[in-house]
Amino acid sequence: MTRRSSHILRAGIAIAIFVAMYAGSVVLPKAQLFTLTDVLILGLFATSYNILLGYGGQLSFGHSAYFGLGAYSCALMLLHVPGIAPPLAMLGGVGVAALGGLVIGFICVRRSGAYFSMLTLAFGMLCYTAAWKWRTVTQGDDGFGAFVPAEWVFPLIGSIKTGDLAQMYRVVLVIVAVVLLVTWLLMNHTPYGNAIRSIRQNEERASFLGYDVFFAKLVNYVLASAVAGLAGSLLVISHNFVSTDVIGIDRSTEVVMMTYIGGTGWFFGPLLGSAFVVVVGDLLATVTTRWQLVMGVLFILMVMYAPKGFSGVVRYLFDRSALERRRPL
Amino acid sequence: MPLAFMIVFGFLNGTAYGLLLFLLASGLTLVFGLLGVLNLAHASFYMLGAYIAFELVRLTGTFWAALLLAPLIVAAIGALVERVMLRRVHVLGHGHQLLLTLGVSYVALELAKWYWGTASLPLRPPDLLKGSIDIVVGSYPIYRLFICAAALVVLVCLAVILFKTRLGMIVRASVSDSEMVSALGYNVGNVFTGVFALGALLAGVAGVIAAPMLSVYPGMAADILVDLFIVVVIGGLGSLPGALLASLMLGWAQSFGILFVPEFAMLFSFALMVVVLMFRPLGLFGERSA
Repeated sequence: MTRRSSHILRAGIAIAIFVAMYAGSVVLPKAQLFTLTDVLILGLFATSYNILLGYGGQLSFGHSAYFGLGAYSCALMLLHVPGIAPPLAMLGGVGVAALGGLVIGFICVRRSGAYFSMLTLAFGMLCYTAAWKWRTVTQGDDGFGAFVPAEWVFPLIGSIKTGDLAQMYRVVLVIVAVVLLVTWLLMNHTPYGNAIRSIRQNEERASFLGYDVFFAKLVNYVLASAVAGLAGSLLVISHNFVSTDVIGIDRSTEVVMMTYIGGTGWFFGPLLGSAFVVVVGDLLATVTTRWQLVMGVLFILMVMYAPKGFSGVVRYLFDRSALERRRPL
Repeated sequence: MPLAFMIVFGFLNGTAYGLLLFLLASGLTLVFGLLGVLNLAHASFYMLGAYIAFELVRLTGTFWAALLLAPLIVAAIGALVERVMLRRVHVLGHGHQLLLTLGVSYVALELAKWYWGTASLPLRPPDLLKGSIDIVVGSYPIYRLFICAAALVVLVCLAVILFKTRLGMIVRASVSDSEMVSALGYNVGNVFTGVFALGALLAGVAGVIAAPMLSVYPGMAADILVDLFIVVVIGGLGSLPGALLASLMLGWAQSFGILFVPEFAMLFSFALMVVVLMFRPLGLFGERSA
């Protein structure tokens, strides 16, 4: 297959998946649509995490801070700014998350390796504690809801009724698809993506080649934070509710697991991982109340035996060239 | 409360918490120095120590048996984790080891919630250590003084083993160059397991002696993990003196913070960390870059 025809094939597959998923909003029952909406949102969150882990090689343990910052900012704007349109509040959420990423990233990206992980975890906990303790604004653990107006307009899709799962699903699908496409192009097909990858592979060499390593890492951190903030905003608008659940340390752990289980080596791996964790988690929850334990054990087994995640396993099975066969999973 | 009492009270509280932190930080930093692994499950060993102590007190009825046995059980668990899991992912690099310890801490937390529930469980201090003692400016709980004393005893033992025995010499040599030690005929693999188990043991001791003061609950690992990380960031990973100084600094910053400005106590430790990072990016005593 020539390079060109393989591009056309890929684009065809992507469009087919999008059309099928869009059509799903008409066919699928409500419960499935709700789950699928969560899969898309968490998939976007995991993808934002992979911008750091897969492309930048930075292991953050506090990524829920930006998901939460986006979520809370969006919810608070809808609650306190009279007449604000939800799409505008989403942008607000993205902006605040990006700003948070800029301030915290300015401190964290100075260090790499274990120090980066510790710093991000510490700042993630700081954000969680702020959301938990600042009850007058966030109402702590109880959270607050019912802030999305009964009817609002989303460009191109039209008027959205709050509570209509199919319409909400379509909005989320379109936003996630567009953002994924843009991010994929940015990370895989621009000099920016190349710069980030070259820094991951060898920081010293990249800096000798003339890249400003600190600046590039900071930009990448802000980008990951902004996309995470968008995912958080989408979650609160689709659930019409926000609580410390969006910013807790469990959410940071969850996103690490989703990203890793799906595979960090492929742009769409994290999306696969979030689908797996949400769907299989739901199925397990019907059988056992301890489904998180099962997920944790699975995660450990994958770290030990399939360190490239599901997409690594798939690639290993299908791409059996002589070179691939000698590599570990 | 008179000011003099507040100062003494804050100082003692800070010292107790600081020494508790150092029990944990010393193990974390030793393991990092030797294996190059930041062990996220370290605080889980602390949590397990507390839960196992709770269980042992329920079985035997005495705190002292728990203080003796629980850390040993935790050390055995630690040795198992190192041998069965951590060693296997060593070839994949530090990121994977970090992820593995994250998985271990997650599973440990879920297991603890499953077996002991999510409610916080009380652990009574032994009768000998109940009540308060008169210190010139007021009265102070005996148990907290016991924490200081116990931590100091353990740490002196650790220092003697590390710096005065042949075993300690092998461990310190392995920290600076494990390949050379291996070439001299020592089984470095066993040293790795031993040090990892020792770290777990120290964390277990911290868990047992903290339990009567803080009670036993699932979130105790996450609660102390952040303070622990701040300590090793300030002190410099891999440095014992740095960890000691940073533990005490953090303990005092927090206890005085809570006494004088309760709302912002947590911000104190973060401010301390940010200032240190700005002026000494590797930490106060850090040499090795991570």
